[in-house]
Amino acid sequence: MTRSTKWLVPTLYILFLMLPIYGLVSMSFKTTTEILGGFSFFPQEFTLANYKVIFTDPTWYNGYINSIIYVVINTLLSVTVALPAAYAFSRYRFLGDKHLFFWLLTNRMAPPAVFALPFFQLYSAINLFDTHLAVALAHCLFNIPLAVWILEGFMSGVPKELDETAFLDGYSFSRFFIRIFIPTIAAGIGVTMFFCFMYSWVELLLAKTLTSVDAKPIAATMTRTASSSGYELGLLAAAGSLTIIPGAIVIYFVRNYIAKGFALGRV
Amino acid sequence: MARIRFRNVRHAYPPPKGQDPVYALNEINQVWEDGGAYALLGPSGCGKTTLLNIISGLLTPSEGEILFDGEEVTHFPTSRRQIAQVFQFPVVYDTMTVFDNLAFPLRNRGMAETLVKERVEQIAQMLDLTANLKKRAAGLTADGKQKISLGRGLVRSDVNAILFDEPLTVIDPHLKWQLRSKLKELHQQVGVTMIYVTHDQVEALTFAEKVVVMYDGLVVQVGTPVELFNQPRHTFVGYFIGSPGMNVFSCRVDGGQPVFHNNLLKTSHRVKGELHGKLEVGVRPEFIEFARDGIPVRIEKIEDLGRYQVLTLTHESEIIKMVIKEDQDIPAENPRIQFDPDHTRIYCDDWLVEETIHA
Repeated sequence: MTRSTKWLVPTLYILFLMLPIYGLVSMSFKTTTEILGGFSFFPQEFTLANYKVIFTDPTWYNGYINSIIYVVINTLLSVTVALPAAYAFSRYRFLGDKHLFFWLLTNRMAPPAVFALPFFQLYSAINLFDTHLAVALAHCLFNIPLAVWILEGFMSGVPKELDETAFLDGYSFSRFFIRIFIPTIAAGIGVTMFFCFMYSWVELLLAKTLTSVDAKPIAATMTRTASSSGYELGLLAAAGSLTIIPGAIVIYFVRNYIAKGFALGRV
Repeated sequence: MARIRFRNVRHAYPPPKGQDPVYALNEINQVWEDGGAYALLGPSGCGKTTLLNIISGLLTPSEGEILFDGEEVTHFPTSRRQIAQVFQFPVVYDTMTVFDNLAFPLRNRGMAETLVKERVEQIAQMLDLTANLKKRAAGLTADGKQKISLGRGLVRSDVNAILFDEPLTVIDPHLKWQLRSKLKELHQQVGVTMIYVTHDQVEALTFAEKVVVMYDGLVVQVGTPVELFNQPRHTFVGYFIGSPGMNVFSCRVDGGQPVFHNNLLKTSHRVKGELHGKLEVGVRPEFIEFARDGIPVRIEKIEDLGRYQVLTLTHESEIIKMVIKEDQDIPAENPRIQFDPDHTRIYCDDWLVEETIHA
């Protein structure tokens, strides 16, 4: 291929990739009548009414707040628990360590639907139903194994001698871990947090099953396609466009480290 | 400062399931005198690093005890042993500056900041790091980082011992010489015990007052470089030290003297009594000379190495290495060689037979 046409393939690829997103964003500026009326590439009647509804109606904006709360709790919880676990896997040899490590990964292979019912029953029994904590804990099911996997890769890249030198230099284990080790693998923690955030943010089934009103996530709100006033497709498109934003912000901060995570084959 | 003593130390790493443990260290009884400069020499996998890690406390030996000045420290944590250790590959705290890296062990011990500064600057000067003190350690080259590791090992003056685990592997040859002589200089100034692990005999022989040769989990000989050269106690020492290594041939012993392919060899160390086991005779290439009557040989190869020449000879099927001076003549016809009786020794199952009568 000549130099002048080299840009063609990537451009087409990106174009196809962006097309549905463009469709969504453009729809969010249309009225429902226009959407139902037929296809148009640009909004004929440009309107911000859909966004206005989302930012003023508590049933909508609370969805975002609820989602953000449980996602943040889940991310912090997953990383906090995974740090010592990943350290153990990367530094110590113990009976069945390799099997256990692989078993962690298999937790990601089971569809969340399998766990929905037992979680529902359990959380109802201990009064956690319809709380942010319930969803955050349920999402730990797949996020902790993921976090352990990613962090283990980053930790194994740090030579064991770093630990040994710190101990020789007179640091206790806990001081070493917090003051030296965590800053050393900060990039890895960033990448891990991003993936925990992302998986928790997009998960719908568990989040929907375990909440009803108080902790209802935005994705569940969005499944409500019709209301008393008929179809609200414009509103849905606006809500969808807004769900992309948090992920985009987070990925901006870890963009330089993500590639490293992929290179380790852990993502 | 302390005298470090190993008493019956053995160590085995956890074996794979269903197998007997293999000892990485096999019964070590060894005293490291306070203020000594030791080199620990041996091939890869002979237990050198295990031994260092046992001294510093990173490993607890499976059996035996370690004593510092008579006090048992076998189960002490690393922080209580006051040992500095430098590893083969650079270990730096990436998030800190070079200065903070070097100051780290001192600050951890609560040293006053003015003293810290003074000491760090002194060490930085010695290692040519003064210009980099304010830089972040992460940005340095591999040998720059290794210099920080070295500096961190040397910065404390109150340690019991400084352990070096092949510290100059990543440093380029020119700088190697320089750093090694700096280390030696520092040893003379401070007089702290230094143990230097290496598998390079030149490095070991130039650095140390005493060389500890390890082989297969055992300390086979401890001695000055001259002792190791003149009187190897184990065939491994003979062959590991010296270039080329010692000639070792199987032999039988007759009347206390070795017989090598029906040639009775003269030795000034006659063996007393009967010997059982694998018998060998050892002689260094430097202690072989041409003689009118002796063992007939064929010259296979002559290598001129500048100040001396290395000859490869054969007698029957045995290969004999011999070293002669550069300008020495090589007999053209029927060359015969003779071994120096003072340096011809008998080994039984690889160990030197020490019960001898001086003939």
